[in-house]
Amino acid sequence: MPRGMFKSGRLRKIFVKTPGGNTTVQYKQRKPSKAVCAGCKKQLAGVPRKLAGKMKSMPKSARRPERPYGGTLCSACTRQLLTQKAREEK
Amino acid sequence: MSLYNIGRVCVKLAGRDAGNKCVIVEVIDDNYVMIDGATRRKSVNVKHLEPLVQIIEIKEKASHEDVKSAFDKLGIAVWDKKSKKPAERPRQVRKVKGKKSGAKAKVEVKAEKIKPNKEMKVEPKVEEKSIEEAVSSEVDKVEVKKE
Repeated sequence: MPRGMFKSGRLRKIFVKTPGGNTTVQYKQRKPSKAVCAGCKKQLAGVPRKLAGKMKSMPKSARRPERPYGGTLCSACTRQLLTQKAREEK
Repeated sequence: MSLYNIGRVCVKLAGRDAGNKCVIVEVIDDNYVMIDGATRRKSVNVKHLEPLVQIIEIKEKASHEDVKSAFDKLGIAVWDKKSKKPAERPRQVRKVKGKKSGAKAKVEVKAEKIKPNKEMKVEPKVEEKSIEEAVSSEVDKVEVKKE
């Protein structure tokens, strides 16, 4: 029987065939969910789907678009927000 | 008549300069204009700009310095482009084993420094000796007198 921590479904199962012909189960961490725009809930482009540790080791410019609100809002929503701000300024 | 004439202040909407203010410096096309100001100096599509009410009196193809002085009057901060030269790193100098010429020169310098010191030291020693001799001779004389 697998250990309790492996039965909870927190980790993803990978079935591996050994050289002896048996299949064994390996457990790996699940991928994080895709990044989503805070305005329209669309999936964000340019934000990689990596574990937090790997994201930290990446350069900052590789983690999100180099734009204000990059990584939280999509390009259409930022454009909408910035036009709104510019028009309020008058 | 289009809104995008020379001197029109706009807000950039797309790219890494988004949200920054700029001025139209040159009209290239129906769709494209050259901008400068708090953004990089670029030719951009008009779709990427939001026009504001302000209009600055500026010549066509005005230089970055002219635009900067005009923006200072409006109270908009303009950052100049950073130089592309990377900062000089401190580099380690390799120690070469076969470098004897430098060492020799150092030794010669030391010898030169030491020579005058020796001469200086020699003179007072002579005086001391003379004093000692004189004292000893006097002592001898005294002993002789006592006898």
